[in-house]
Amino acid sequence: MAQRVAIVGIGQTCHTSRRPDVNDGELINEAVNNALADAQLKIKDIDTVISGNMDFFEGHYLNDAMLADYTGARGKAGFKMNTGGTVGTLTFISGCYCVSSGLSDVSIVIGWEKHDEGPTTSCITTMADPAVDRPFTVGALLGMALISGNYMNRTGCRLEHAAMVRAQASENASRNPNAHLRDRYSVKDVLNARMVLFPLNLLMICPTSVGACAIVLASEAKAKRISKKPVWIKDHITVHGEYNGNHYHNQFDLPGFPRTTTQMMAGKKLLQRNHITEPLKELQVFEMYDPCAFVQMSWLEDFGICGEGEGWKMVEKGMTARDGVFPVSPSGGVLCTNSIGDSGTVRVAEAALQIRGDAGEHQVTRNVRQALVSGFGGAFWTDLMLLSKSLD
Amino acid sequence: MSQKADTELITHQMFLKIPYSWSTGAYIGAFLKELRDSGKIYANKCPNCNRFRCPPSPVCGICHTKMQDRDKWMEVGPRGTVIGFSVVEQSFLVPTTGEMLEVPIGVGIILLDGAPVSLQHRLQETNSEKIKAGMRVEAVFKPREQRQANIFDILYFKTIK
Repeated sequence: MAQRVAIVGIGQTCHTSRRPDVNDGELINEAVNNALADAQLKIKDIDTVISGNMDFFEGHYLNDAMLADYTGARGKAGFKMNTGGTVGTLTFISGCYCVSSGLSDVSIVIGWEKHDEGPTTSCITTMADPAVDRPFTVGALLGMALISGNYMNRTGCRLEHAAMVRAQASENASRNPNAHLRDRYSVKDVLNARMVLFPLNLLMICPTSVGACAIVLASEAKAKRISKKPVWIKDHITVHGEYNGNHYHNQFDLPGFPRTTTQMMAGKKLLQRNHITEPLKELQVFEMYDPCAFVQMSWLEDFGICGEGEGWKMVEKGMTARDGVFPVSPSGGVLCTNSIGDSGTVRVAEAALQIRGDAGEHQVTRNVRQALVSGFGGAFWTDLMLLSKSLD
Repeated sequence: MSQKADTELITHQMFLKIPYSWSTGAYIGAFLKELRDSGKIYANKCPNCNRFRCPPSPVCGICHTKMQDRDKWMEVGPRGTVIGFSVVEQSFLVPTTGEMLEVPIGVGIILLDGAPVSLQHRLQETNSEKIKAGMRVEAVFKPREQRQANIFDILYFKTIK
């Protein structure tokens, strides 16, 4: 990157299912104020404001205009992201672009969603081509169900393993005061939950949450002055897939055309160009955008963290636990907290807290020097970010 | 202020009913017309990377090459093999109709006979224990006079031996 970028401020709201006590702007303002306080900055110190959510979820077109007072955008540069599941990470990445280009010294990125205001799954369904795909689309859930079944078929993973992932996530979320679903569940509890769409039951899919998360980004010169514990953005990558709404063709092996996901493409490139050959050692934590229990295992493989068919074995051995050898989503992940527009931003924030050693009760037991963060959304698109404690 | 006034939270509501009319495009439109007029399913191929698309597409998503014109499209199906599936058990508000979805609904990713290409469609079978990857299925079309150049001119794919 042209100019080094660091995270110098982190602010979240706590997450919950309903916040009838605040409007969208008041919700966002909580996160903005928390992030500015964490950075010990005032809004006059910020030169670029970027916000992100999905307009249709709350039914507000051009909401960055309506929310300018609350974000602090007046008189500043900035824009709005609206890219589905990846909106939270792409909002963050956009802030990185502004600073690394040299056009911005200090930017604030704000991901948010207030899912208690509209029908989320119905809104997501409108992403699909109306003539041939939309009649079969069930928000983001059908794709998740299809690739979960495919993962079981390909690798021998069983329902029990998905339940282990969710039980582990519940243990992590119970320690995270900002998480939404904080009840602890056993493997048996998870297996007994009500079926939503085969093979996914209610506890194997992410909830719809209300929350916001803001992150302050600064250039190297500014960051060293602002923060005692800056977290450096070592690399980031965005990979789009071809449109696959109708047949998910890149998610399945077809004769002569093996399965090729954006997670595979992003992981391969990012690990390669950062010379990471032993990810389980060189990365100490992975905050993954894990919208359903099966993909946490499947995507560990696709990102190149482990070999094909080894993801569920890592879970079975307890390797991905908060105190395991390779903790995955120690915050509880998207499985326990999902305000879509902030789900990606929260992943970055949580990984940065792990690097700072500020994650409190859900701090991992490993010493974290580098963290991997993923975003997921759109037509199975991927954002992948590498955060680091040092500038080397 | 009374205590009730202190804790009362006011919400404001909106119910959208907005008409849209989407152009299906030259390729998807022709695909839908064939469903209606000939009861046949067509796919096309990328001359550069050999990827197939169904419905046919004018441009390859892998290599951005112009894909085969209408005169070279090939018929695929109506039989195929299920390679992925789900059964939707929980209803939700369908945005195109404004009505709740009738469940359960079987959905399959069907590898169509004749080309390495898949199509997503409904399965007649809605019992997840009776659906398996590798299962053979066949498209069931509506009677000719009821077809509307719509993806549901195929009613569903039924299980065959």
